Formats: sequence, C-alpha cells, structure tokens
Amino acid sequence: MNSLRLFFVGGLISYRALFGWLSPWILIPTFLFAPLFQIFLFVYIGRTAGVSDDRFFLIGNAVVNAAVPCLFAMGNTIGGERNAGTLPLLIASPAKRVPLFLGRALPVILNGFLVAVFALVVGALLLRVDLPPATWGGIAVAIAACSISCTGLGLLGAAVALRVRETAVMSNIVLGTLIVFAGVNVPVGAMPGWMQGVAQWLPMTHGIHATHDLAAGRSLGSVSGALLTELLLGAFYATLGLALLRWLEWESRARATLDTA
Amino acid sequence: MVRVAEPVIQVDELVRTFHTRRGLFRRSGKEVEAVRGVSFTVERGELFGLLGPNGAGKTTTIKMLITLLLPTAGRARVLGHDVVKDAHDVRGKVGYVFGGDRGLYERLSGLDNLRYFAELYGVPARESKQRVGELLELVGLVGREKERVEGYSRGMRQRLHIARGLLHRPEVLFLDEPSIGIDPVGARELRATVKNLVDAGTTVLLTTHYMFEADELCDRIAVIAQGRIVAQGTPADLKQQVTTGTVIEIEIFGLPDGVLEKVRAEPDVQSVVVDVQGQAQVLTVHAQPGADVLQAVMAHLEGSRFGRVITREPTLEDAYIELVNAA
Repeated sequence: MNSLRLFFVGGLISYRALFGWLSPWILIPTFLFAPLFQIFLFVYIGRTAGVSDDRFFLIGNAVVNAAVPCLFAMGNTIGGERNAGTLPLLIASPAKRVPLFLGRALPVILNGFLVAVFALVVGALLLRVDLPPATWGGIAVAIAACSISCTGLGLLGAAVALRVRETAVMSNIVLGTLIVFAGVNVPVGAMPGWMQGVAQWLPMTHGIHATHDLAAGRSLGSVSGALLTELLLGAFYATLGLALLRWLEWESRARATLDTA
Repeated sequence: MVRVAEPVIQVDELVRTFHTRRGLFRRSGKEVEAVRGVSFTVERGELFGLLGPNGAGKTTTIKMLITLLLPTAGRARVLGHDVVKDAHDVRGKVGYVFGGDRGLYERLSGLDNLRYFAELYGVPARESKQRVGELLELVGLVGREKERVEGYSRGMRQRLHIARGLLHRPEVLFLDEPSIGIDPVGARELRATVKNLVDAGTTVLLTTHYMFEADELCDRIAVIAQGRIVAQGTPADLKQQVTTGTVIEIEIFGLPDGVLEKVRAEPDVQSVVVDVQGQAQVLTVHAQPGADVLQAVMAHLEGSRFGRVITREPTLEDAYIELVNAA
C-alpha cells in the first residue's frame, strides 16, 4: 500500500515540486508554441525541397516533442533534488527506490503524451493535414508508447545526475540525437547503415514508424510489433536507469558526492 | 539474569577520509581526514551533544550515522543496526534535521512538503493527515501551511524542518545545528520542543555552536576537534576539567596602550581576551585556579572609565574554548 501511494501520490507531488517549467510563462511557449514552430519549419522545408508530404514531417516533429518533458523532467528528478538541497534527505529516507522513481515517471509520461497530441492536432488543423478520425485511437496508443520509452531513457539520465551536476546539457544532446536518428525528418530506411543500426536502439524510432503506418490506415494490430519493441526499449532503459541509480547511490555514499557532484 | 541494554548509538573508532582531485589533465589528489577514530555511545532517552568548531567532523559523523556516508574505517550501530550493512533499517527509525535555508521543496506549500516526506517515510495514509496536523501545531505553522515555502522566513523553514524530521516518530533524532539563524524566541521554543521530545523518550544527538544551548539541554557532551574527541562527560564534568579559575569581565571605555601586556604579565593571569562591544571594550581575564587577580588587574586600569565589572565561575564556553585550543 505504501509503495502504491509512493508511486501515485509521491510521484505527483514530486513532479509539482521539481519541474520548474510548471509556470504558464515557460509551459505555454515551451510545450505549445515551440513544437508548432518546429513542425512549421520542417513542413515548409519539405514543401520547398519537394521531398515527402506534410503529414510525414507533421507526425515526426509532433511525436518527438513528447521527448522534451520525458527527458528533461525525468533528468531533473535527481538534479532538481540536488538544487533544492533535498537530495541527502531523499537518499537518507527508507523509501523503496523502484516505486519512488517509477512514480516520478508517471506524470512525466502524461506530460509528454499531451504535448505530442496537442502538437499533432493543432499542427494538423493549421496545416490542413488529413488525419482520419478512425486513426486517432491507434495514433494515441503509439504516442503513449513513445512517451513511455522516452521516459525510460530519461530515468537513465536521472541516474547519471547522481554523478554529474548538469543534466540539461546531456538531455539536449539526447534530444538532438533523437531528432536526427529516430526517423523524425528523414525516414530511417534512407539513412546510412550505421545510422539505421543506432536508430533501432533509440526510443521513438519504432513508435514514429508505427504512427506513420497508422496514419496511412494500417490497423493497430499490424503495428503491434513495432509498438512492443518501443515499449521493450523503454523498459530496457528504465531497468538500466534503476540499476545505475542503485550503484551510483552507493558510490555517492562512498565518495561523498551527494552534495558536491 | 540482568540484561544490559545496548546503547542506542554505538560508535567505535569511526574514520572518514575524503579524497579530492583537481585539474583536468595533470590531476593532483588530496586527502582530508575529517573524522579520525571517533568513539562514543548514546543511551536510550539521552540528549547527547556533539560540540566542536567548524570543520571538526561533527556533520561528517552524523552523516555516517544516518547512512549518508560510508565510513572509511571503524563501525557504528544505531538501534542495534549497522549503519553500513543495515542502512535501510536505520533509515526508517531515525530522523535528521539540519540548520539553514535549504532542504525543502520551495515550489510546494509547507503542508505538501510534509505530505511528501510522510510518503517517503512510509507514514500510513490514515495517520498521515493527523500527524501532519499535530506537527504543524507543534512547530507553530498552523495558518501558514498552505503558503509556498519560497515565501517562508528562515525561522519558519527551520520549524518546518523539525516537523519533517518528526513525521515518522523516529526513535533517534539527529539535530545538526538546528537553531542556526533562528531568532531568540524561536530558539527558546526549539529548545522547549527538544526537551519535550526527550521527555517523551526520543534519543537526541545534537550539534550546536551555542554553548548555553548545550549546557541547558544536554545530558552528556563530547567535544570534537580536528576529527578527534578531546573530552566527554556531563556539562558539569567538562566545566570541572577547565584549568582556569575565576573569570573576570571588565567593561572599559578606552583601554590605555600597554595595559593589556601588563595584565597578561601578571603571574596569576592565565589568559586575556579583548572584545569590542559598541563603544566599550570588554576585557575577559582568566585567572589561575585559586588565585584572585581582580585587585592586580584593576590597579593596571587606574584612571580609566569603567562600566560593569563581573566575577564569575568558568562556563561551558570557557571549558569548550580551552579544550578546543588545546587539541
């Protein structure tokens, strides 16, 4: 019961406590305007260059924006504690680490999902891209899978924050990597072989591919393999993150880096 | 068969060394021995003081006891649990409060801070609301609990820290300079709260720089300097260890040149300290045990304008200064 409360209630409170973007002045430009600007930029580049159609750029750039909260808010799970001076209290608490940190992931996943859905819906309306209502449910599932997998990677970033003070730089690099490698603006199949190899191990790649297929009219069942791969990648990164958290927590007690990393 | 109760805190030859490295390419290392073989015990229900100057190793010792730092050598047990092997058991039974502004979630209200820490410490949901209410009452934050912590004064933050540390009814409470930065009224209330906790059976380990606070509160005290314990005992024991005799405090307006040297040269004078307080200077003269130096000192000050002249017995502060200086 305590673990469940820590997962749900604790996760929500800590999200409010640590995510400094929860101010309208930051939230609206970052989560609502910036994704639309990114979509417009690439759609118009695509139109000018005469490559692919608007829908391709709309989907890739809308879905990848789920990664912004998933990477940054999750990375701030430890960094924010350090800034607030609460990290020693967190580490000295008897709270079970798995529900503690996975609970922190839950609001982040929802945040990422909503950002991507907003960008997709508003982008489609403004650019007059046709997304048939029959595809909406499947696309929502694919976006949720992308948000989950990206948050898994964010948890790995949170663990690194036990060793490195500044995680926003790292999150920016990861976000850039996703934009380049995950099939956001260039289909994975058109990339060199080594890039395709990297893309297979990144969150978003399989989810974005599935979203394209769903928008083209394919059924949810037909993309279930891609979505399962997306979720498994998320689970893989989350497991790696939890293991790294455990090890670095021990190391920080040995090296006295909780206050000084 | 008589069963001897195990001390609540048992520290044996605890050592903590910090390694620091500097430079990107030609890295140079440095070792700092913050704690060098500290040993002490704290019995159940006792209020034990750990006194020492900045950098003496007090906070490092506490951090090892609450499992935030691993000892380099030695061992420590809290409530029978080894702080290295049984860290999880220790964490659930101890509370930790430190002084200063940080360590709270600024964007949350005081109430939400307590709710969150109640979750971290596994306070059952049915108890949590009542417990948080009790503690807000105890620390005098009722009516302000829904305000964001970023608007709290230092005293309010400190009181919230104390409420946080007590949420899970810890058997042992570590207070690391809890009264730092609090106004006199707040500090007095804090001392009363700590006394009540000890009366209710909580074992407390306190570090403080305020000697009167330690004198008033502590059953026993350990003085730590340069990572080693240099004296241990009740406040009365420590005062008796002082080699100084009577202390004379003279408030004087315009100390003549050369007088200080003459007073220091008196055979029965052990030490002299001058402290400027507003327009006056306060001359504190420590005499050798059994000696009366008042007349000799006053003779050197003839012609000067005096304020108050006080003769008193050595205090815990005198004992502390002597012990630390001798370390």
